[in-house]
Amino acid sequence: MLDRRDFIKAQAVAAAAAAGGVSLPAMAQTSMIAGEDAQLKWSKAPCRFCGTGCGVMVATKDNRVVATHGDMQAEVNRGLNCVKGYFLSKIMYGQDRLTQPLLRMRDGKYHKDGEFLPVTWDQAFDEMARQWKRALKEKGPDAVGMFGSGQWTIWEGYAASKLMRAGFRTNNLDPNARHCMASAAVAFIRTFGMDEPMGCYDDFEHADAFVLWGSNMAEMHPILWTRISDRRLAHNHVKVAVLSTFEHRSFELADIPMIFEPGTDLAILNFIANHIIKTGRVNREFVEKHCNFRLGQKDIGYGLRPENVLEVRAANAKDPTDSKPMSFDEFAAFVSDYTVDKAAELSKVPKERLLALAELYADPKTKVMSLWTMGFNQHVRGVWVNHMVYNIHLLTGKISEPGNSPFSLTGQPSACGTAREVGTFAHRLPADMQVNNPVHRSHVEEGWKIPKGLLPGKIGYHAVLMDRMLKDGKLNAFWIMVNNNLQAAPNTNTETYPGYRNPDNFIVVSDAYPTVTAAAADLILPAAMWVEKEGAYGNAERRTHFWHQLVNAPGEARSDLWQLMEFSKRFTTDEVWPKEILDANPDFRGKTLFDVLYRNGNVDRFPLSEISPEYENRESKAFGFYVQKGLFEEYASFGRGHGHDLAPFDQYHEVRGLRWPVVDGKETRWRYREGLDPFVKEGEGVKFYGNPDGKANVFAFPYEPPAESPDKDFDLWLVTGRVLEHWHSGSMTMRVPELYKAMPIAMVFMHPDDAKDRGLRRGSEVKVVSRRGEILTRVETRGRNRPPRGVVFVPWFDSARLINKVTLDATDPISKQTDFKKCAVKIVAA
Amino acid sequence: MRPESMPAEWHIASILVHLRPERSDAIRAAVSAMPGTEIHIEEAGKMIVTVEAPNEGRIADHMTAMHLLDGVMSAVLVFHHVEPAGVAAEEANGSTDV
Repeated sequence: MLDRRDFIKAQAVAAAAAAGGVSLPAMAQTSMIAGEDAQLKWSKAPCRFCGTGCGVMVATKDNRVVATHGDMQAEVNRGLNCVKGYFLSKIMYGQDRLTQPLLRMRDGKYHKDGEFLPVTWDQAFDEMARQWKRALKEKGPDAVGMFGSGQWTIWEGYAASKLMRAGFRTNNLDPNARHCMASAAVAFIRTFGMDEPMGCYDDFEHADAFVLWGSNMAEMHPILWTRISDRRLAHNHVKVAVLSTFEHRSFELADIPMIFEPGTDLAILNFIANHIIKTGRVNREFVEKHCNFRLGQKDIGYGLRPENVLEVRAANAKDPTDSKPMSFDEFAAFVSDYTVDKAAELSKVPKERLLALAELYADPKTKVMSLWTMGFNQHVRGVWVNHMVYNIHLLTGKISEPGNSPFSLTGQPSACGTAREVGTFAHRLPADMQVNNPVHRSHVEEGWKIPKGLLPGKIGYHAVLMDRMLKDGKLNAFWIMVNNNLQAAPNTNTETYPGYRNPDNFIVVSDAYPTVTAAAADLILPAAMWVEKEGAYGNAERRTHFWHQLVNAPGEARSDLWQLMEFSKRFTTDEVWPKEILDANPDFRGKTLFDVLYRNGNVDRFPLSEISPEYENRESKAFGFYVQKGLFEEYASFGRGHGHDLAPFDQYHEVRGLRWPVVDGKETRWRYREGLDPFVKEGEGVKFYGNPDGKANVFAFPYEPPAESPDKDFDLWLVTGRVLEHWHSGSMTMRVPELYKAMPIAMVFMHPDDAKDRGLRRGSEVKVVSRRGEILTRVETRGRNRPPRGVVFVPWFDSARLINKVTLDATDPISKQTDFKKCAVKIVAA
Repeated sequence: MRPESMPAEWHIASILVHLRPERSDAIRAAVSAMPGTEIHIEEAGKMIVTVEAPNEGRIADHMTAMHLLDGVMSAVLVFHHVEPAGVAAEEANGSTDV
């Protein structure tokens, strides 16, 4: 007879077998929930961490999350959880959770150099409004800004976009997603006229080859990695190629492992294009029907401050986005320089491996999936390198069908859903519209029911420029939500911190925990997180996924949505809109921004009675209408009917997410191909309908070196990134004792011979020094990451060792995304 | 293997391990050597392991350690159950008497 322990163990094994697709002889699958657990209330939610978008089941009891497990019904993860997901139930209960607003005070009032003291929400917003009005009065809308996040829920990002663009009339709104996938987003628009991947995770089960361009999926996307492992191990013909600047955990599965010199991925990709052409494997019919060729601008600089010598010296730093048409033959001639010899010489990858890699793309019988994240995107030529991977998929026609898939992975849970789709970038509006396009602005003004001509057309400050403008005293009232920018931004000691402490500036940080960013602010607002509010995220495969509020936030902590909307009540149109606009639209006079933005007949359209009676919804109760539904439906109206279609609000609460476009209740797994995408008409075959001519753009770009390379003084490449246990800056995961213990400090991973040459060994205390700053840490020569000689790797999760004091604020000149993967350092004994 | 003496809670988790089949001997030995683990099924590059421990930290440690073993592609969690240790021990003891 089975005892209780054996019984539970049998259940555990059965669940794992089911999730892993392992056959389980003669054992009944029982409910996953046994005993006491059956009395808990279980609800669905997406995981709070990366862009994979795993479904989890969340158990609550007495207003507290007590357990989570992988959702067996979620297609993304099928019941699996990585170690971060395992500890989701603990992220809200860190000892130092913020529960009340804190303002720097001296002698009973705000003072830039005061001590943080608790204040009420009213006091907090009063001071904040006073500072905003001061900045607006003195310098106008350019002096206020907001730095948001790919961790905002969809409606939070949307409410923020309305407040900044229509309320304060500035496009100084950017998400931290600028640091993580701006290059990917820009290249999507330039290539296909529409953002986000054409394929989806189902490609994992159809591909014959997987190529990881810099990505370490084994640690950063472990659940998706199990799908690749499954495919590889069950099918002998399947090949995995892994490219990186250092050896990491994903190399375990690599059939073609490749360590390349930082920045030379550009040359490797041009070589592959050349190989496809030279060996006669271009899909001529596809290329003729569906592609345009363009010659891109070269020598475009490195996105540094304009006076930097590298910018002055660059021929085309002022117009990096220019391009002109070229023919296929001209393209072929352009890439013909990139022979296997040249690619091998630049990259230091052996020729046989480069050829084996190129064959994965060239062989018409091999369905290939390309995967990338920060290695491509955090790159001074990030847009180019994204274009180049589309080039090789387009030349071969290996796109928009199951298994043939260039796939840009994301790092944040709603980088796609909120930052990109809602459009919280300094240049974007909802549904891929752009702020500098008057037709788009006018369309948004109609949808938002605001006066014509109200929306500003000037592109706002991007993330790195915001930091520079804060430092230079041009941006004076700044609100940071759901991100830890002082830890995340490049060259932070020189370019970020001085702006926060600049006496001309007032810095507000909304967060759940006292991050280093919060500590450098003037006002800290305590935020509700994850299932403490009703939310929606959009993952990397276009899946929109909802959850209900399951518990209340502690103390006075409130959601970003409540904070944004409540703050909007402190301003009237007369204070912030120009006289001419109010003269022409007198009905708008004397109203609060809350009235004109959120009580506009759209957002307040759905009554409280439509909220599920089983769940709390604090924001809606505070404002008297179903806020999330109203915001979502107004937002969704911009995308419906032309390929950005979202389902009706209520449907998302019933399902484990749906991939847009959702037409007639059905999601779309592959876009741009007849029979798979409802927007491609019968007889069209393939149509890249984001572009007016229905064609995708193939761009020709050269190899150009990084902004800074090792030299005799700073003789090593520094690459930064993440580790399995911690997510991004560690604000949440470092507060889970078990994860903290597993990886408590960020060490410098280096080659044992590089250590030896410097008289160092494993465990030695060292300084990592660049021209910009230094950190103190310890040497690791044996760990999971094994750099080649000449390269070191330091993760950035550790707030006690801020590696971004060392990094360089060079960005891609087109996407304005920072290159965190390439700068020069030296390592010396401490 | 029994959980250690008298902890307040008893945790059990199942972990799905993906591995290089040719290295399964070494991996099997390494996993078996971790306290509280038991390998239940092995099949074509997959292994299903249960871990018992007095707290979830120990389970996470083992899971991370497995993830980082040579030849292992990934180790991910599927099932996790907690209960007061007394209940499980009592019932378990009771049933062994039968």
